[in-house]
Amino acid sequence: MNEELDSQLSAMFDNELPAAECELLARRLSRDPDLKARWGRYAVIGAVIRAERGVTLEGSVAGRVSAALSSEPALALDEAGRGADRTGRVQWWQPLAGVGLAAGVAAVSILWLRSQALPGGGATVAPALVATTALPAVQPVSQGAGAAMPDSFVVPPVSQRPVVVPATELADYVMAHSAFSWPFTRGSLLSALMVSEPGTSSTPVRSVQPAAGVQGNAIQNPK
Amino acid sequence: MRSRIRSRERVSWLALALVIAGVANADEPAKWLERMNHALSTLNYDGTLAHWQGGKVEMLRIVHRVQDGTVSERLVSLDGSGREFIRVGSKLTCYLPDKHVVLVERTPAKVSLLGEFPAFNTQTARFYDIKDVARMRFDGRDTHLITVMPRDQYRYGYRLWIDDSTAMPLKTQLCDGHGKVIEQIVFARLRIRRHIPDSAFRPGISTAGFRWLRNDSVPVKETVAQSGMVWSADHLPPGFHMAARAAQTMPGAPGPVDHLVFTDGLASVSVFVETHAERTPGQAPKVEAARVGSSYAFSTVVDGHKVTAVGEAPAATVRFIADSVKGQKVSRSALPATLGTLPASPFAHSVPPP
Amino acid sequence: MSADVSDLSLVRRVQRGDKGAFDALVLKYQHKLVKLVMRYVRNPAEAEDIAQEAFIKAYRALPQFRGDSAFYTWLYRIAINTAKNAVVSRDRSPIEYDLDRSNTDESYDMQGRMKDAETPEGLVLTDEIRSTVNAAIDALPEDLRTAIVLRELEGLSYEEIAEAMACPVGTVRSRIFRAREAIDRRLREVFEGGLGRAEELG
Repeated sequence: MNEELDSQLSAMFDNELPAAECELLARRLSRDPDLKARWGRYAVIGAVIRAERGVTLEGSVAGRVSAALSSEPALALDEAGRGADRTGRVQWWQPLAGVGLAAGVAAVSILWLRSQALPGGGATVAPALVATTALPAVQPVSQGAGAAMPDSFVVPPVSQRPVVVPATELADYVMAHSAFSWPFTRGSLLSALMVSEPGTSSTPVRSVQPAAGVQGNAIQNPK
Repeated sequence: MRSRIRSRERVSWLALALVIAGVANADEPAKWLERMNHALSTLNYDGTLAHWQGGKVEMLRIVHRVQDGTVSERLVSLDGSGREFIRVGSKLTCYLPDKHVVLVERTPAKVSLLGEFPAFNTQTARFYDIKDVARMRFDGRDTHLITVMPRDQYRYGYRLWIDDSTAMPLKTQLCDGHGKVIEQIVFARLRIRRHIPDSAFRPGISTAGFRWLRNDSVPVKETVAQSGMVWSADHLPPGFHMAARAAQTMPGAPGPVDHLVFTDGLASVSVFVETHAERTPGQAPKVEAARVGSSYAFSTVVDGHKVTAVGEAPAATVRFIADSVKGQKVSRSALPATLGTLPASPFAHSVPPP
Repeated sequence: MSADVSDLSLVRRVQRGDKGAFDALVLKYQHKLVKLVMRYVRNPAEAEDIAQEAFIKAYRALPQFRGDSAFYTWLYRIAINTAKNAVVSRDRSPIEYDLDRSNTDESYDMQGRMKDAETPEGLVLTDEIRSTVNAAIDALPEDLRTAIVLRELEGLSYEEIAEAMACPVGTVRSRIFRAREAIDRRLREVFEGGLGRAEELG
C-alpha cells in the first residue's frame, strides 16, 4: 500500500485533510475496496478505544446498508445543489417524500429562567392566545371511541413542531400544579420548569451546602 | 312512600340506581386500577419508558423500590440532558446538569414521581365510563385494556394496558373525548426485581460546581389572611369540587398565592390567586393562555387579582373554572385558624424565616 | 463547521450519485450509531436494525443536507428519532420479567446503570477484536499511543494534540497514522488469519 495514501487516509478519517486532497481521496475511497476496508478498520480501532458496543469487524450494519442502498435510486444533485425530479425539471432542494426529520428533532429542553434572554433577545414570548369559547351545553361524547380498534390508539410519529414558550409566569404555575399532574408529578424531565436565578426576583433563594455523602461520577456525554 | 315521589325525583332515583348498577359491573375494571396502583406503589421495578407528548418522545429510566417502608425512586432522562430526579422517602433531589443546578425539596411521602391513578369510585363513575375492553397481547404479554372514558366533554380519558400477572401498566394513554391520544407512556423495558441495591438510586453525574437550591414547604399560617379575601369557585363543571387549598410563594408575585385544587376524582385543576391586586402599579395582569404538555394553563383577572388555572383537562374546563373564581372579603378574625395543606410546591424558592 | 471537511467531501459525492462514498460514511459512523441506539433498545440486533434504518433515512434525506451542521450531528438526530419511533410504535420487543430469579447477582455500576447482558455470538468476535486492539495499543511506543488516544478518546484536533504534546501538527498526523498502522497490522491478522495479502507487502 502506498504509505502516503494511507497517511492521507488517516488524516481524512480525522477530518484533518485539506479540502482539495479530500476531494481526490474521497473518489478513490469510494471505489477502492481495500482502501474502504482499511478505513473501516480505522473506525473499529476508534470504537474499541471508546469501548463502543457491538464492535464487529464485519460491520454488519455497513454491509446491510450497502445492500439496501443498491435498490435505492442514486441521488442526483447537480453542481449548484439542485435536484432533478423524475421529469428532469430542476427543483430547488425539494424534500423527498416521507422525510420530515432532516432538520432534526433533538430533545428540546424547555427551560425557563427569568434571567435568561429568550431566543431573539426579546422578553418573554407572548403565548398563543386561545380563542374564547362560550361554554357549551353538556354533551355526552361518543363512547365508540373508547371501545375500539387498536388503530385508533396509534400515536403519530415524532414530529418537528415549533415549540411555543409560554410566558414565564404561566410556566411557574404549571410547575406548581405539577404535583397533581399525570403522568409525572414533577413534570417531564424533558421540559423541566425552573425558577429564577438568585437576585432576579423579589424572593431570595436560599443556597445550601450539598448534602453530605452525595457523590457522583463524571457525566456521560451523549456523544 | 313511592307514590309520593314526584316523577322528577323518580327519574333521578332510577338514574342513581343505574349508576350503582353500572359501578357494580364496573367492579372488575375498577379493581384492575386498584391492582395497578398497588403494583406501582409496592413493587420493586426498573425499566425504560417512552413518554410521548406533543409529537415528541422522551426516553426515561425509572427505578422504584419499597424497602422497610421507605420508597426510593429515580427517574433519569436518557436523552442526553443527563437530568434526573431522585426521591428517597420525602426528600426529592432534582439534578439538572445542563443548568448546573441541583434542587432539593421535601415532599410528603405519598407523592410519587410517577403520577398515581386515583381510585375509581361511585363519584367518578358518574362522569367516567370504565370498561374492561379486551384482553390483549402487548409486547408479548397478556394485558387487560381498561378504558376510562369521560361521559362529557369536560374531561380527558385514559386507556391502560395492564399486565395480567403483575398489574403494571405497560402502556397508558391520555386521550380526549374523541379518543385521540394526547399523551402516552410505554414501558420499553421493565423488570420486576426482588432486590434493588442502594447504588441504583445514586445520581449518574458529578455535581461539582453546581448550585444547590432548596425548596421547603411554606406554612400556610396567616399569609393568606394578609389579603383579607377568601377565594372559591361557585360554579364548576359537573363533578368538580374543591379538594384542597393552601398558600405558597411564587417568584415574581409580590405576596403569597392562594392555591386551590379542584378535582372530579380523576382530573385535577389548580387555581392560583395572587393575593395582591396588582403586581406592579399601573400594570394590570393580562389574560393569557398556553398549552404546556398536556396541561392547559389560563390566566385571567378577577377583581384586579391575577387568577391562573392549570390542569390536564380540556381548555373549556380550565377556563370555566378560572372564570368562576370569586373572592369574598372577610374580616381577619373570621378566617379559619388553619387552612388545608398541600404538598410543597415543586418550586425552588424558599422564604426566609420571618 | 469547517472541521467537517472530509465528511462533506464524501457527502457531496453521495449527493451526486456515488453510493460508494456513502459506504465510507457508514463504515465511519456505524459503531457510534449502534452505541447511541443501544441507549434506547437493549437488544443489539434490534439496535443494528434501527441503525441501518437510520442510515437509509439519512441517505434519502441527504439532498436536504446543506452542511449547516456537521454531518454526524445531523445523522445523530436522525438516529435518535428513528430509535424513538421504533420504541414507541413497536409491538414485538421483549419486556423481561424476572420475578422468579434471585436478583442478588444483578449489580449496578457506580453510575446506576444496569449491566446489560451481551449476546454470546457478538461477544466472541468482539472480545477478540477488543483484546487485539488493546494489546496492540499497549505495545505502542508512548508517543504514538498518546497521540491516538487523545484523538479517539478525547476527540482532540491535531492542533490541540500538537499543543498537548508540544510537537508540530505534522508530527501528530504522522504519529496517529503510524499508531493506526501498527494496530491495523494485528487487526488484519485476526480478520484474515495471517499476515497481509500480497498487495500489502508492496
